[in-house]
Amino acid sequence: MGNVIAFRSKDFVKWADGVLEGVLRRSPVGSGVDYLTKDFFNWATRNSIYPLHFGIMCCALEMAVASAPRFDAQRFGVIYRSTPRQCDVLLVNGPVSKKLKPALRRLYDQMPGPKWVIAMGECAISGGPFYNSYSVVPGVDQFIPVDIYIPGCPARPEALIDGFIKLQKMIKESKKGLLTGK
Amino acid sequence: MWINMGPQHPMTHGLWNLRIKVDGETIVDAEPEVGYLHRGIEKLCENRTYTQIIPIADRLCYGSSLTWSHLYCMTVEDLMGLEVPPRAEYVRVASIEMQRIASHLMWLAAYAADLGAMIGFIYTMRDREVFIDLLQALTGSRITYNFPRIGGVAHDIPPNFERDSLRACAYMEKKLKEYEDLFDGSKVFMMRNQGVGVLRKEDAMNLGVTGPPLRACGVKYDLRKDMPYSVYPEMDFEPATHPDCDCYARYRVRMDEMYESCKIIRQAVQKMPKGKWRIVAPRNAPARTGLGRVEDPRGEGMMYVVGDGTDRPYRLKIRSPIFVTVSAAKKMLVGYKVADVVAIMGGLDMCIGEADR
Amino acid sequence: MGERGTRFLPEGMERPASRIDDVPEEKVIRSLLDSFPSTVTDFKKLGKGVVRARIERRDLYRCCKFLRDQLGFEHLSMISAVEYDKRFEIVYHISCYGSCLLLELITSTPKDDPSVDSVASIWGGANWQERESYDLMGIKFNNHPKLERILLPKDTLYHPLRKDFKGGG
Repeated sequence: MGNVIAFRSKDFVKWADGVLEGVLRRSPVGSGVDYLTKDFFNWATRNSIYPLHFGIMCCALEMAVASAPRFDAQRFGVIYRSTPRQCDVLLVNGPVSKKLKPALRRLYDQMPGPKWVIAMGECAISGGPFYNSYSVVPGVDQFIPVDIYIPGCPARPEALIDGFIKLQKMIKESKKGLLTGK
Repeated sequence: MWINMGPQHPMTHGLWNLRIKVDGETIVDAEPEVGYLHRGIEKLCENRTYTQIIPIADRLCYGSSLTWSHLYCMTVEDLMGLEVPPRAEYVRVASIEMQRIASHLMWLAAYAADLGAMIGFIYTMRDREVFIDLLQALTGSRITYNFPRIGGVAHDIPPNFERDSLRACAYMEKKLKEYEDLFDGSKVFMMRNQGVGVLRKEDAMNLGVTGPPLRACGVKYDLRKDMPYSVYPEMDFEPATHPDCDCYARYRVRMDEMYESCKIIRQAVQKMPKGKWRIVAPRNAPARTGLGRVEDPRGEGMMYVVGDGTDRPYRLKIRSPIFVTVSAAKKMLVGYKVADVVAIMGGLDMCIGEADR
Repeated sequence: MGERGTRFLPEGMERPASRIDDVPEEKVIRSLLDSFPSTVTDFKKLGKGVVRARIERRDLYRCCKFLRDQLGFEHLSMISAVEYDKRFEIVYHISCYGSCLLLELITSTPKDDPSVDSVASIWGGANWQERESYDLMGIKFNNHPKLERILLPKDTLYHPLRKDFKGGG
């Protein structure tokens, strides 16, 4: 009992993780909880996609317009957040130069899972009109795994909203429980 | 202590990094860092034909892309010694002024959102759609148009364009009065703007600052009036200036410019002559140099092209107003607080696409 | 720009007062010829209010100081660098607000020694433009306060706009 009362914080974290691992994740209790809550959490995740406030080039203007009154992406639950720690989706909307590549990879690494990446516009898909330039990476999927590609130069705001809806469908089909990950 | 603001920051006027040295909350030194959007356009242009560069020139500054493709076409027409038909000149002027209003409205939307007046974002984006619809009817696209050609414009104006433009101008002038009430009547907006980011007249001229920040220091210099190009000598308008050199003056200059642009659009669509809208340009350019200068919504844009007898330019140099204005950031930021960075840098209307090329 | 600009100038249009009156372009050419007789050559009037001149690089700093202080050219618009077969040419576009003039000043350097004096202490706006010419074309500017790369990452080894760089475009 003395062990439990006088824990150091590092040991406490290790003990708590062990309990979670054993009791919840591996045992039938975990799968039971997941079975009950999977649909609910999945519905919540796909209806509250939070992209990052990150604009690179022309498609960023269309991204801004997509949250304007005419096209209104907020009715789908899309709210832009300023810090990557609070986001689900990284929306890459322009050409990635060699100077920007480490910064973008760092932003992707800072986002907590589950996370998705949308490549918006020709420049993010393959380099766009600058595909053979000395300072543009030809496509963002060279260093970040991409889930949705939205073509267009620039991609219209309706296409961006269509991309969000396709992402919602994708999240719905790949139902994964939060505890066991299955 | 040096703080990095960027390259990802919620004050999303482009992709750049501002390093500021702070002592408590006061800024002691500042060093902007650009280059995150460098695409090597000047090298790309050496391997494209003259017509293939027009869409690339659009993507230089995507906030006002018609201005840049027109500037490019004017430069190549100077190189080749071409005479553009008058109807094309009037269509160019009308579309450039519509693009100027759309660009200033986009600036106002982002500026208001950054200063906390989210209502400004909602209203101005809605009204910007009026002009984007007009430009879409004229050119076929929403932001990067690929509309001008070397020797004129791509096609003629659509039916009912004159009626729709006049309606849009009347609507815009009413709305501008509403915005003035909204922003000038807001105590917080005025406190965050008046007396903030002062740039003296001599510093502005020496540091190469052009456009609305220069006219907000009291210098009455507008390329459309002082070194006119196209059919601007036949338009009746006044360049907008303001004697204080702070953020409020820059905001005021841009609002006045929107009024003047409505006046110019009215005159351009009503005085438009009949005739051809395009002449066929030769494929190869002579071995000479050409120079073009234009009053961009952000300042003085220039292009210098060197031809060598083939159908590709030998060298294309682009002067971006924002590249030079951002280098003057240090003068405007030192002595103010960290919270003023948003108002000062937002008031410069930065579109980093043209700075980095 | 170009000769066609003259047809649109209305009759009796007033020029704002400045240190240069009468025919402004001729006044500028005459002052430059008087002060720098051997180094400034090859004058050409390119259009209404635009004059081109060539200058040798050893007199560039003195001439720019003369332009700013004596002739009232307050604004440096653009610094371009062009590479030809046997030389580099650096083109300065300097404008005067008072009399609405643009002066195109061209200086050349040999291929193996691309360096000129920096004018960043005369016009502050030249600072970043010279850094950009150094970054992309490799022209060295003597006495520049901070000649570093600005658009490309700091550890890049090449100068992309040179004709022997085949990497882009």
